[in-house]
Amino acid sequence: MTSSAIEATGLAKTFRRRGGWALRDCTFQLPAGRVCALVGPNGAGKSTLLALAAGLIAPSEGSVTVLGGHPAHVRPRVGFVSQDKPLHPQLTVAETLRMGADLNPDSWDAATAERVVAGGELDLGARVRSLSGGQRTRVALALALAKRPELLLLDEPMAALDPLARHELMGTLMATAAQYGTTIVMSSHVMAELEDSCDHLLLIGDGRVRLSGDTDDLLAAHALITGPARGAAAPADFDLAPHTTVESRVTGRQVTALVRPEGPLPAGWQTRELSLEDLVLAHLRNPAAPPLTLGALPASASPQEATSASAMSQETTA
Amino acid sequence: MTALAPTTAADTRHPSATPRLTRWLLRLHRPALYVWAGLVIVLSAALLWLGGPLTDAAGAAWEQYNACGEAPTCVYDQPSIIRYKDVYSVTTFAVLTAPFLVAAWAGATLTSRELETGTAQLTWTQSVSPVRWLTVRLAAPAALVAAGTGLLVALHHLAWSAGEGRIRTAKSWSDFPTFYAGGIVTVALALLGLVVGVLVGLLWHRSLPALATSVAATAGAFTLVNLALPHLWPSVTRVTTRTQGAPSGGGLTVEQGILTSTGARLPDPYCGGDVFPDCRATYDGLDAVGYYHDYHPLSHYWPLQLTATALTLAIGALLVFAAFRVLRSRTGGAPRRGRTTAV
Amino acid sequence: MIEYRIDRRSGVATYVQIVQQTKQALRMGLLEPGDKLPAAREVVEATAVNPNTVLKAYRELEREGLVEARRGLGTFVRRSLGAAPADSPLRGELAEWAARARAAGLERDDVAALFAAVLDEHFDSTAKEQENR
Repeated sequence: MTSSAIEATGLAKTFRRRGGWALRDCTFQLPAGRVCALVGPNGAGKSTLLALAAGLIAPSEGSVTVLGGHPAHVRPRVGFVSQDKPLHPQLTVAETLRMGADLNPDSWDAATAERVVAGGELDLGARVRSLSGGQRTRVALALALAKRPELLLLDEPMAALDPLARHELMGTLMATAAQYGTTIVMSSHVMAELEDSCDHLLLIGDGRVRLSGDTDDLLAAHALITGPARGAAAPADFDLAPHTTVESRVTGRQVTALVRPEGPLPAGWQTRELSLEDLVLAHLRNPAAPPLTLGALPASASPQEATSASAMSQETTA
Repeated sequence: MTALAPTTAADTRHPSATPRLTRWLLRLHRPALYVWAGLVIVLSAALLWLGGPLTDAAGAAWEQYNACGEAPTCVYDQPSIIRYKDVYSVTTFAVLTAPFLVAAWAGATLTSRELETGTAQLTWTQSVSPVRWLTVRLAAPAALVAAGTGLLVALHHLAWSAGEGRIRTAKSWSDFPTFYAGGIVTVALALLGLVVGVLVGLLWHRSLPALATSVAATAGAFTLVNLALPHLWPSVTRVTTRTQGAPSGGGLTVEQGILTSTGARLPDPYCGGDVFPDCRATYDGLDAVGYYHDYHPLSHYWPLQLTATALTLAIGALLVFAAFRVLRSRTGGAPRRGRTTAV
Repeated sequence: MIEYRIDRRSGVATYVQIVQQTKQALRMGLLEPGDKLPAAREVVEATAVNPNTVLKAYRELEREGLVEARRGLGTFVRRSLGAAPADSPLRGELAEWAARARAAGLERDDVAALFAAVLDEHFDSTAKEQENR
């Protein structure tokens, strides 16, 4: 048994038609039981990464292991909702759910499917082609959740939803994670909408991993500090070594910098509150900032950690 | 914390009921299914009409015509003969279009559209592997196509043979449309069309180009089979002397020409025969002593049908193999089971 | 049963908000010893926050001895909080003080700022306490 929900090694993907790398040399490990925000600007490779993990496309280089196996072998244990929420337009909502039951004979949970759909006051007899974007999302999520997956991959799941439905469905996802220890990966280009729901972050930019790790650990590894500029006019004049500088800005006589401290910070500098969104934006604004991967140990290094026990494992660190 | 006690879905999972994919494939493509059923029913009815009442009426008309003998005027039911010819041509053409229709629609359009809109991927993210999806995607329509075209060619064959000896203008067995429309090889061609369509649909995720490509590819396969057809069974050779003239009629021609005194085969200059002095001189110049004609007599009908069918199915099997290869390389289907984390 | 409301723009960490709201409910007598806290699953379904956040808050409350987790049953309140129930003499004194402040011409915000300043002098704020650990 492995403790990784997803483990990617040197994963890369090119598309012949578009040319160039959609994903490049991605190495990361997502521990089981996490709710992971997959964040990055549009075109960063989020959808490609999710499709690779879902076993819908083959990697050009490297490999990805999902729930301890090849993506093609773990289909019944993985749920996936793609960005455009494909459904059969000619089926009714009720038929779509019946199809889900027939195509997932080992694991279908009809009650869950009905509960998710019922939240949207959906007419079960309505044809899928007549549904709004938000309603389609709800049906697609119902299909994925009722499968009772151990890993749920969601590509921009909240994009078409109004704020009320967004809150309700996010609540449903969190309840699923709480009840079954489901690992969830949700992509978005807006960090703010995932900030409260996720405990793990995978930031990709330009097809590469920029940040990867538990959000608490990532926040702890960074510090937003301000201090006197001492005559320096540009960030470049500033050397905060041995600390790694992600971003620094000079405003008047003051310097604000996001750093990865390596030891105690210099005297006279003040630490400020750092949010996950600040962290993500700073990294997106500064593509040259070195990537940071936390806790990506080889699976064999932590065999004692049980699956879906992330909730429990934090007990020791709190 | 009880609320958080994770019950892994795997614990409650029973191994392993088979996903009922066929049922949903048929449900999803119900319009296509209805159109195909309607087409088969209408064409079958037309062929039964052709082989029954129309053949009888045209046969009776030909009897009237034959009874007239050398009489200067003859009253016979000409419209019946014409109607027979028209219906024969139309139904024959319709049966021959089946492979193309199947390729374009059941194969290319439906497959590429599923990939284009992502509903194929939706199926793959249920508990259905792409390989299983493709298997059903080929097998279910194949059964329907085989049943439908099988019925049509059988009825066409019956309708055609009903006219034999009764209708003077009835087509020979070796007539190109008649040979195919009334033969089992067309069933194989329709199946080949399906495979071609599915393969093209997998390669092109857009339905319109896939449709066009699949029709062209099916036409190509059809042509290939037709070119190979005369050589699929040893032919019979008939030799005639120059005075007897070039052999005529009967069967499916493989090759014909002139024979020299040494037995060498030369292409016939087609100058008109010994009755024309110029032509005689040409033949003399070529040292021609007679004619040869390699052909297939009626007794070769079934061997030709069966070998052509086998050839078509063999091409189809290759393309099925290719389709699975394409799908596997696209979706990264694992080469071996049980591969776990290597690190 | 307590219902948590998470204010995303408050700048206060989500788990701290849960801790604070629970303590507030204990102080106000809305939660009493023996009462059960909502299951983490219920909280996350209603608030859409990460389950670990709720667990972290509950563990914090447990560490402070306010609640206890009983295996298989849930999390229960162990003791109430606040020597100052709603009708205590301290409340009366504070009410008198507020009336005097108003009579002296202080605005609501002035009073709040004054109160907060005195509070900070005498007590560590919960948020700081969390951060320092």
